[in-house]
Amino acid sequence: MSDLLIGFQDVLNPATLIWVAIGVTLGYVLGALPGLGKATGVAVCIPLTFYLGPVAALGMLIGIAKGSAAGSAVSAILLNTPGEPSSAPTALDGYPLARQGKAQKALKMGLFASVIGDFVSTVILIALAAPLARYALLIGPVEICAILLFSLTFIGGLSGNSLIKGLIAGAMGVFFSTIGLEAETFVSRMTLGLLELEDGIALVPMAIGMLAVAEMAVQAGNVKVLDSEGARITDGASRSDRVVLASEWRRCLPVIARGTLIGSVVGILPGLGASVGSFLSYGATKKASKTPEKYGTGMIEGVAAAESADNAVVPSSLIPLFALGIPGSVIAAILIAAFILHGLTPGPLMFQQQPRLVADVYAAMLCASVILLIVGYTGQRLFAQVIKAPLRLIIPGVLLLCTVGAYMETSSVFSIYVMLFFTVIGFFARKLDFSFVTFLIGFVIGPNLELSFRQSLQLLDHNAVNLAKHPIAVVFILLTVAVVWWIGRGKNPAAGGQVTRSSRATEKHVPTNS
Amino acid sequence: MYEITKRGLLGMAAAALLGTVGFGHAGMAADYPTGPITMLVGYGAGGQTDLVARATAKVMAGELGVPINVVNKPGAGGAVAARDIAKAKPDGYTMLFHSNSVINSAPFIMEQVDYKPEDFEYAGMITAYQVGMASQKDQPFNTIAEYVAWAKKNPGSSYGALSPEARLYITEIAKQNGLDVNIVPLKSGSEMINALLGNQVALAFSGGIHYRYPDELKTVSALTTFRHTSAPDVPTIEEEGYPLGMDSRTTLILPKGTPRPILDRLAGALKAAETDADFEKVTSAANIPIKYLGVDESYTEMRDTYAKNKGIMKRAGLISD
Amino acid sequence: MRRANIISGVILAIFGLVMLAVVIPLQIDPGPDGMMSPRLVPGMMMGVVIALSLLLVINNIRAKEPEAADAGPPISRNELLALAKIGAVFGAAILLYLLVSPLPAGAVIVIGALVALGERRPLVLIAMPAGLLAAIWFLFYKVLGTGIV
Repeated sequence: MSDLLIGFQDVLNPATLIWVAIGVTLGYVLGALPGLGKATGVAVCIPLTFYLGPVAALGMLIGIAKGSAAGSAVSAILLNTPGEPSSAPTALDGYPLARQGKAQKALKMGLFASVIGDFVSTVILIALAAPLARYALLIGPVEICAILLFSLTFIGGLSGNSLIKGLIAGAMGVFFSTIGLEAETFVSRMTLGLLELEDGIALVPMAIGMLAVAEMAVQAGNVKVLDSEGARITDGASRSDRVVLASEWRRCLPVIARGTLIGSVVGILPGLGASVGSFLSYGATKKASKTPEKYGTGMIEGVAAAESADNAVVPSSLIPLFALGIPGSVIAAILIAAFILHGLTPGPLMFQQQPRLVADVYAAMLCASVILLIVGYTGQRLFAQVIKAPLRLIIPGVLLLCTVGAYMETSSVFSIYVMLFFTVIGFFARKLDFSFVTFLIGFVIGPNLELSFRQSLQLLDHNAVNLAKHPIAVVFILLTVAVVWWIGRGKNPAAGGQVTRSSRATEKHVPTNS
Repeated sequence: MYEITKRGLLGMAAAALLGTVGFGHAGMAADYPTGPITMLVGYGAGGQTDLVARATAKVMAGELGVPINVVNKPGAGGAVAARDIAKAKPDGYTMLFHSNSVINSAPFIMEQVDYKPEDFEYAGMITAYQVGMASQKDQPFNTIAEYVAWAKKNPGSSYGALSPEARLYITEIAKQNGLDVNIVPLKSGSEMINALLGNQVALAFSGGIHYRYPDELKTVSALTTFRHTSAPDVPTIEEEGYPLGMDSRTTLILPKGTPRPILDRLAGALKAAETDADFEKVTSAANIPIKYLGVDESYTEMRDTYAKNKGIMKRAGLISD
Repeated sequence: MRRANIISGVILAIFGLVMLAVVIPLQIDPGPDGMMSPRLVPGMMMGVVIALSLLLVINNIRAKEPEAADAGPPISRNELLALAKIGAVFGAAILLYLLVSPLPAGAVIVIGALVALGERRPLVLIAMPAGLLAAIWFLFYKVLGTGIV
């Protein structure tokens, strides 16, 4: 604790803070721009930080990651195009809110949820990095497989109107994720002989195409309607539309707490990623709500759930990095290089060999959370005006950014092809009411699930009896079975219950989301 | 009808002169480099190779006096970047910094990869990967021979493999000794570390990053032809009687046809990293030994290792002929 | 929507069958023994898709509730047109990228999209791409010091 105070002393000087602030702002802007994300931003900034001292450099890079996780809510809410795949759930309720003239309210809640999630997760990192990381090691492939199975049950809640179509989308997502080299057998699957597909379809260009460009296409097809709606929306007409009301705070605080918890846990577990965190949080909040059917029409809790989890993942994914030197996420992996280049070797030795530097970085991270609040808040009204801008000016700009963002993933035009392919798929998925959310979940969870299952088979020596050695896994498997049984029972009262509900649901066409 | 006019003759002479100057790459190399150079890295940002690449770029930029832009072009373990560099202009302004295993091993393992060492030029090698078999510190074996004895008494143990090479080693050892080992697939170095630290597997193939955890992990065998600088007491796999040692080194790879003077210049700049203090700091922090090889030595190394690896892979049944 | 569901259900079922029967066996080698086959998961997924798509089709054929009065086709012609236009813009951009250089490609994306959406003011058509490209150039080449291409 006293180390931390020294850390603050070191950090609270203009020279360092300025760089952290620049990082946060840059990250926020990059996150808000659809197509550009934190991984790109951090990787690209690493050489820039060579000229800075280690604390300023690391503070800036981590600031970019934090800012971007929060900024991605902006375009999700205002344009229905998430700045990053992890903000896709934010758009589900954020965009309808914006269309109701409550853009500023949604933006504020998104920001507050992001900052709270981020701050609390950072505190957890600082206080508990070492012991948590040790516990995290207990989570091996067998446990991960069980946890992922369990998280698949949330798909039910995220399918939108039609469970059948949601499941189809999920299965398609898993199917597409199998394209590429299979890790155990080293067999290429459906790569059509293309080297670029050996590593599978990259998430970012795919998500950009499916979420951003497809949305732009849909909006382009409805320019007149959307523009006239937009002109009629007086954003923030009444104060209650601009501000987060106390009643909403009361409703959202537990949501934010849940989201932070889910995001932190997902962040610690290796390989899951922020998208899984925000989807799970949204799904969990929807399930726990008394009015789940209203989600997707402008429930502010949805925004809070997604954004708090989305931001909580970033600091907690640094826990395995700091404590064990193991990067659990793409950002952490990129940061390892930055750490080493600046003289910090992440891992248990770091705390013994360079305690002061570690304290400085911690302090910088906490300051970054506060700076994030300031940066986001000052940008509110400015950003909200975007709603008023005519779509035909916005769409081309977004298209360009998406192209740049997709290209930067692999520095090759192949990513653009991927983006365009999934634009078409995303377009039809939206219009035909197939949930792209479940597609994304299937795509992200699928490969982890298959690989961890294969690993489990080997680790358990192909013998299910050995499962007894993995109590955590057994717990999650039982949970999964329980939930599936409960869902099945809940839908069966009229055996045609599910049938008629789905078919009736397909009648409704909710225009603003899928 | 072409008339032979004085003008025409002068014109032809001028053209001939220009032509020879144009072919005189030696003349151009004197001003090389005149602009920024692009250094491709075949892995994503953050890994060992990327780290060394960025440190190398910094040193070389200082030596050459021009900026060197590091561009990550991940894909197929570097094969995408290799294919791109093969197609690039041989003017010395685009190069690939990557493990040479992408050229002397990958073609045997991946079907779509079909280039050969002769399809590229090399401007030196700088660091080596301390590839080895790693295990937890408290395991009761310290060499392959001891591991074999232990595995015989503990059938069904787990081994972590993150590539076909990794599998190759354990399959060969298991075959020769009749072991029953489960091979657990791993997707990356960090997963491997996780698996080791979490006691999920008893032994794992490591590209060198296990040296970051000297208190928890140890090397059981050096899979290179030389003993590791970080673990000089651990015998190499060849010393233990398995002719399977495969070296991998970070190499400057350039398109075929890049003129020799340019290669020499780059190799000269690369050599500066051997003695650069910052470079040494970064590589020693990451436990990466510096082993510089010049241009000619690089070519020899590529040819020799390609032939050797081909033999190993054939005997292991990874390639059918 | 019901008709659209039936059509999409049928298309998806056919997709699943083609994948299962043709593409998967063709494109995926059976793996070595002792390991889960690499064909398993893709095959399972296609099985799920086929089964659920058929269920979707059956549900929608059997559905007894009358279609809502205002139900038109879920995809309007404008939207399809917009998709086609965007496709054309990107097609042109890619050609330019491959044949010339990234800069005109980027410009075409912006100008093409603007025109496709009905923007005709020459000032905007020139100023926007110029401004956006300059901003991107500035951000990446100057501020961040890294080339995009």
